[in-house]
Amino acid sequence: MVTLQQLIFKLSEFWSTHGCLLQQPLDVEMGAGTMHAETFLRVLGPEPWSVAYVQPSRRPADGRFGENPNRLFKHHQFQVILKPAPDEVQQLYLQSLEACGIDLRAHDVRFEEDNWESPTLGAWGIGWQILFDGQEITQFTYFQQAGGIDLSPISVELTYGLERLAMALQDVDDVFDLEWANGVKYRDVRHRDEVEQSKYAFGQIDMPRAEFTALHRTFFDQYYRLAETLLASGLVLPAHEYCLKCSHMFNLLDASGGVGVTERMAYILRVRQLAVAIAKAWIGEKPEEPLAAASA
Amino acid sequence: MDRELLIEIGVEELPAAWLPGLTRQLHDRVQARLKELRIAPGAPVESYGTPRRLTAHVARIAERQEDLEEEISGPPVSAAIDKDGRPTPAALGFAKKQGVGFEALGRKQTPRGEYLVFRNHVRGKSAVDALPDLMSGLLRDLSFPKQMHWDAVLDDARGELPFGRAIRWLLFLYGGRVVPFTIGRAANAAGPLVQDVESGALTYGHRFLATSGRAGRSIKVRSFDEYQARLKEHFVVLDHTERRERIVRSLELHARRLGGRVQLKEHATLIEEVADLVEFPAVVAGFFDLAFLALPEEVLVTTLVHHQHYFPVVSDRGELKQAFLAVVNTQPQDERLIAKNTERVVTARLRDARFFWESDRRIPLESRLERLHTLLFHKKLGSYRDKAERIERVAQRIASEAFGVPTEAEHAAKAARLAKADLTSDMVFEFPELQGTMGGIYAREQRLPEQVWKAIYFHYLPIGVESDAPPSREQLGAASVSWAAVSLADKLDTVVGLLGAGEKVTGSRDPYGLRRQMHGIVRVLMDLPELTGLNRELDLSQLAPDAHADVAGFAVERVRYALEQRGFPIEVVRAATASLAISPLRARRVAEALQAMRTSADFQALAVLFKRVKNIAREGKDDGPVDRTALGEPAETALVGELDRRRSRIAEATDGADYKRAFVEIAGLRPAVDRFFLEVFVMADDARTRSARLALMAELRDLILQIADISEIVPQTE
Repeated sequence: MVTLQQLIFKLSEFWSTHGCLLQQPLDVEMGAGTMHAETFLRVLGPEPWSVAYVQPSRRPADGRFGENPNRLFKHHQFQVILKPAPDEVQQLYLQSLEACGIDLRAHDVRFEEDNWESPTLGAWGIGWQILFDGQEITQFTYFQQAGGIDLSPISVELTYGLERLAMALQDVDDVFDLEWANGVKYRDVRHRDEVEQSKYAFGQIDMPRAEFTALHRTFFDQYYRLAETLLASGLVLPAHEYCLKCSHMFNLLDASGGVGVTERMAYILRVRQLAVAIAKAWIGEKPEEPLAAASA
Repeated sequence: MDRELLIEIGVEELPAAWLPGLTRQLHDRVQARLKELRIAPGAPVESYGTPRRLTAHVARIAERQEDLEEEISGPPVSAAIDKDGRPTPAALGFAKKQGVGFEALGRKQTPRGEYLVFRNHVRGKSAVDALPDLMSGLLRDLSFPKQMHWDAVLDDARGELPFGRAIRWLLFLYGGRVVPFTIGRAANAAGPLVQDVESGALTYGHRFLATSGRAGRSIKVRSFDEYQARLKEHFVVLDHTERRERIVRSLELHARRLGGRVQLKEHATLIEEVADLVEFPAVVAGFFDLAFLALPEEVLVTTLVHHQHYFPVVSDRGELKQAFLAVVNTQPQDERLIAKNTERVVTARLRDARFFWESDRRIPLESRLERLHTLLFHKKLGSYRDKAERIERVAQRIASEAFGVPTEAEHAAKAARLAKADLTSDMVFEFPELQGTMGGIYAREQRLPEQVWKAIYFHYLPIGVESDAPPSREQLGAASVSWAAVSLADKLDTVVGLLGAGEKVTGSRDPYGLRRQMHGIVRVLMDLPELTGLNRELDLSQLAPDAHADVAGFAVERVRYALEQRGFPIEVVRAATASLAISPLRARRVAEALQAMRTSADFQALAVLFKRVKNIAREGKDDGPVDRTALGEPAETALVGELDRRRSRIAEATDGADYKRAFVEIAGLRPAVDRFFLEVFVMADDARTRSARLALMAELRDLILQIADISEIVPQTE
């Protein structure tokens, strides 16, 4: 039986022997490992870079109060970036599954078209979801653009859904039944946080709905302003962190039903404009227009 | 001696949806490139596709390019030879440019005078030397719905080579020998892990399966026969048809073992698709909890088919069983091991669906209308709530006035008001392809009458997410009239509304899918009697009186398209749709009548005469009534008499939608028209006579034109 933490060891070991730097999660709330500076910024520009890390990923709208066997407020991604993308990357990926104890010959492992896109990051790529007997366990993407910038060389991103992969390996139907370590269940480690975070995400707190929404809008605006100021001061990495905070505030507003459809689009555009400006600043390009226009 | 050409482009997994088109492109492009290279194929071009390879094979192609005779024109002789008979600098310059001496040039007589020419004989290269051009052309030619950058470059003018997916190997053989070819890599990516792709004699088998040795190792081949044999040994079924047949056989076998069957016809698209998702198909059976059968069938089928590409198993009576069949890309050692994992995914999805099914039903459709406010339909046309209110009015009016069935107006109005309510349900949020369907099911659960719930259920048809067919009379039951009213009202609101709001449809851009929407309107109107039992020839002006002027032209274009799709020849289609205000049903019936009549000799002769009538009538000043007192010639009186006799009979036939009889009546005019043209000179000197004759021609034209422009079907030889 491969425990969740053994799975992390095995993937870390595999990718470290294949030239990846082992990084740590970015200590800011985010929806996916792609948003980590080690991915979002490092894929820009010509310098080779190979890195692997675990990123806890918060998706407020997926919170289910710890009651759903498959959906989580926070799940864990194992993220690998290889730049430039090696010719043998599919083979390497399959070897990493073997390293985790999967017998490829006994299962049905498939690369099915699934092109990844993140409107808030101005990023998209071509690739597949990797299906393991019909279950998606990894997103495999050749990045084409990030922060609105065409990439050269092309990076490949492998995002393993650790819980999904572990469920397949341990043959369990409920994520909370996973063995995190020997004798310690996922439930013991994560359940309380899932319940409490879900209540928060859906606004079930001692505060009227309108006030909850207004407060998070204010947070968004303040983080946004700070990010702009940091960027204008030439501090790209702090600006990036506050851009992530904006994105998370937007996700919370979205989950609690605080934004309408049209407004939703406007929020996404604002975060995107910030992300694009940060990406340009990282590679030393001047933004085309002053960012202040974006916050109008 | 002719030799075999074999090309295999080894790629990372291509999307299944692309393979049929790519396989066709490959065939066409290899054929075209060979022709361009003057290499004659001695056998047909064959092409194959699997997710990991695009293969082209020609059993025999010529060993050399055909020689080329070129003729390059130079200056005119008058400017090339001076008065002493010596070549001028212009002539010498031309010769030099061609790389020959002046003596090698010839002369050529042209309509513009005599010119110097250089006749060049280009000797064809050997196929091996010419074929690299075929490959670079081919790699540039293939087009993909979406292409990717993968740091690849070709040694040609364009440099970077984007492709559908990254190319990992190139098998390129002519007569068993490797044709050298290289795909280079971008300078900032190239290195030990990113290398050029060099053509070779190597292919690769299945990713995970092999009879001997390690799976995924390269395999050397020298001929197509050997290539096919080795691939077969290495678990790759090259031919799509063979993969599909294996899948069908295996599905049938498994379903029988489970005491049921698979609805092969209903799932024909899925079968084609899964055949392009795998290189070596096999089938495993999975099961789900009996309790999930309490979910609506549509939800179960959508989960299995659309989300997982699995096939539902049904009993002999067509009822779903608690089993499904999954097509896998392997030869399972232990079917249950794989099946258990597929069951876990299906169960998780069905559990979600059951949660939505239970929570959605707590909120009646009527109370969902409020939430439609937050869903924007179009910035100038408001929310879906606004749309619902509009289509409620329009559907009611269509049912009572255009259809003349006031008893169904209330049902239509209610269904239209609720038609979009399911957009706020969790189920449709999760399974967007169930829009409409879920609303109908929830309405049924709320015990709304059949006329209402079925009208909601089917209202997107005949243009659904999956199916492009209208529901049958049997499916519609009592709801045929209310369904047609809601279906039309919804689409009219979209087309008329968006065109009115200034959205444009151009050749390549149609972001709101207005062509499809209009096509849906046209199809419902065109088949109204079959779909609803209503015998009404409705046109758009009756349904949407305030529509923007562009709408009519847009509609006629779709009517023509629909008729062409049904196999009517283009000239019949044009004849039947001469009027902009035509009803689609009438256009269809006229086309049917024309199709039956067009071979009759009288009718053809009249069509020729009608062309003359149309041309002459164009000379007329206005379309005032015919001054009969000015028409005294016997041929004139005869024609006027014929017209008077037949006018009412034509009107009667038209009113009864009997266009064949109308055309018989019209064909009966032929002798009188014939005689008129023989004996009467229309453009008489006397102004009064002339204008009376022109008015008579206009009257005749209009009588025929109101049914069809039969001049369109004048036989080609005329």
